[in-house]
Amino acid sequence: MLIFEPHIHMFSRITDDYERLSLSGVRAVLEPAFWLGQNRTCVGSFIDYFETLIGWERHRAQQFGIHHFCTMGLNPREANDDRVNQDVLDVLPRYCEKDSCVAIGEIGLDDQTETEAKFMAEQLELARKHDLPVLIHTPHRDKKKGFERCIAIIREQNFPMEKILLDHGNEETIKITRDLGCWSGFSIYPHTKMDPARMVSIVLEFGIERFVINSAADWGVSDPMMVPRTVAKLEQAGVPREKVEQLVWKNPIAFFGQSGRLNEEMLANPASANLRETFDGNSVLRGQDPDKM
Amino acid sequence: MFRRAMLTSPLRDLLGEHGPLAERLVEEVRADRGRLPVVFPGLPRRTARAPVGGGRKEFGDALVDLDAFRVCDLVAAYLTTSINATADELIDVFLHGDIEERAMLLRSLTFLPLGDATQRLMIEVLRTNIVLHLEAALCDHNLLTRAIRAGAVDNDTGNRLLLKFAFVDLPLRRAYGAEEQASEELSRMLQDLATEREAAGRSVWRDTWRMLGRAPCQGSLARLIGGLEHGDDGVRHAAADGLLLLTERGAGIAHFAKERIPREPRPEIRELLERLSR
Repeated sequence: MLIFEPHIHMFSRITDDYERLSLSGVRAVLEPAFWLGQNRTCVGSFIDYFETLIGWERHRAQQFGIHHFCTMGLNPREANDDRVNQDVLDVLPRYCEKDSCVAIGEIGLDDQTETEAKFMAEQLELARKHDLPVLIHTPHRDKKKGFERCIAIIREQNFPMEKILLDHGNEETIKITRDLGCWSGFSIYPHTKMDPARMVSIVLEFGIERFVINSAADWGVSDPMMVPRTVAKLEQAGVPREKVEQLVWKNPIAFFGQSGRLNEEMLANPASANLRETFDGNSVLRGQDPDKM
Repeated sequence: MFRRAMLTSPLRDLLGEHGPLAERLVEEVRADRGRLPVVFPGLPRRTARAPVGGGRKEFGDALVDLDAFRVCDLVAAYLTTSINATADELIDVFLHGDIEERAMLLRSLTFLPLGDATQRLMIEVLRTNIVLHLEAALCDHNLLTRAIRAGAVDNDTGNRLLLKFAFVDLPLRRAYGAEEQASEELSRMLQDLATEREAAGRSVWRDTWRMLGRAPCQGSLARLIGGLEHGDDGVRHAAADGLLLLTERGAGIAHFAKERIPREPRPEIRELLERLSR
């Protein structure tokens, strides 16, 4: 079964993860622009990060036959940082037009401050301008209230709900979002938030319409294999294969395909992997024999 | 200005149904130069990634194979030439561009006036091993030759570019006119690379033998004669080609060719050996 992993921070992962993902059927990944574990001190650090997402990280993924897409945005944590917030917003338009950028994100709320709300609203406008869907990061603390506040901001901006993916959901939030017309994301973690068994229960109760699941794997304790693991659990629980396939393949393509920059046909074959290449003179491939990979 | 007008008009003619969009983009960027980095990445999806087609064509002194250029490459060229993009603007688009943008910009260089951007971006190309970018900068046109002749790229940079070309095993015939760059120094560089590759049990760029024949350095004659006994058909062919160029310089190698002829299985190489043996 082919898998589209719609939220993973490969920037913080090693090549073994790419190999395991590839061997598990992951044909494409989406890497949302986010916080890096500590605040950046100038806009230049954001520019370098954005260019990693459209260059180096795509190249790394291609070595393993994986198509790499990204979202661009100012994350809510650093939206609070006046050293960078406005400058990042100023440079975003050129990155929103990159071919592999298929949404604005992760934007949203974290501490749920007024500044976060302001920059979330401004970036919804940016999404409208570039005709892109939006990946919304929802708070890990006081989640229910944060979900409701995010939805209120989206409504205030009159942004179309079908172009919104509210991520990091759980059993509580699905009750809030299921009738809104937006998409719901569930991040499956090894120890916190949603786990595969809880995700199976949600699918059995609520179905799979406008749902996506992801690992949100990053630099913390997380597991990039969580989507393949959840696929196995869903099949063991008797969820029909075509429904599982819709959840992990067709749904993310349908949501991010609203960008007009991604469709199933583009993913028909693995990403091209010319293992003789290096990237910008980087000799990371030195010593590898492409014929033996 | 005359050269630019001379180039933009035939470029426009080749854009077909994408011409009106290209013109709108030119107007948009003329009105606000800051729009260039915003509109540039969208060109492939807003126009087409299909080849233009039509084979080799001359644009002034630029020779281009339109079968290797895509519609979006030509729209990029039309846009950058029409707005008189400055070196700073071109370098900015390249340095902050994604993989596709960089390829389009490098292909556009062949239509832009030779200058600071040519020099800077050729040096950037030296630092990448993304084959797509080397191809865009050096293949299917004669930019390198023109740039060296005009002094926009110096001989040392030219040599290093061709060494990189050999490093990633691109065929010499795709860099139009690059054989003119043959020199004793380039031959030394290529021969050193060949020796290093052989020591590691790896294959050697076949066009090495052709370049050595054009401008031999110490050891080239032995390598060329040895090439006639190589197990790879392509290497023997290249060695025979190289030796033919050497014989024009009076090298006496007829007896090596004669000795090889009865054992050479490939008719096209035998024919070259016959010429060498005369």
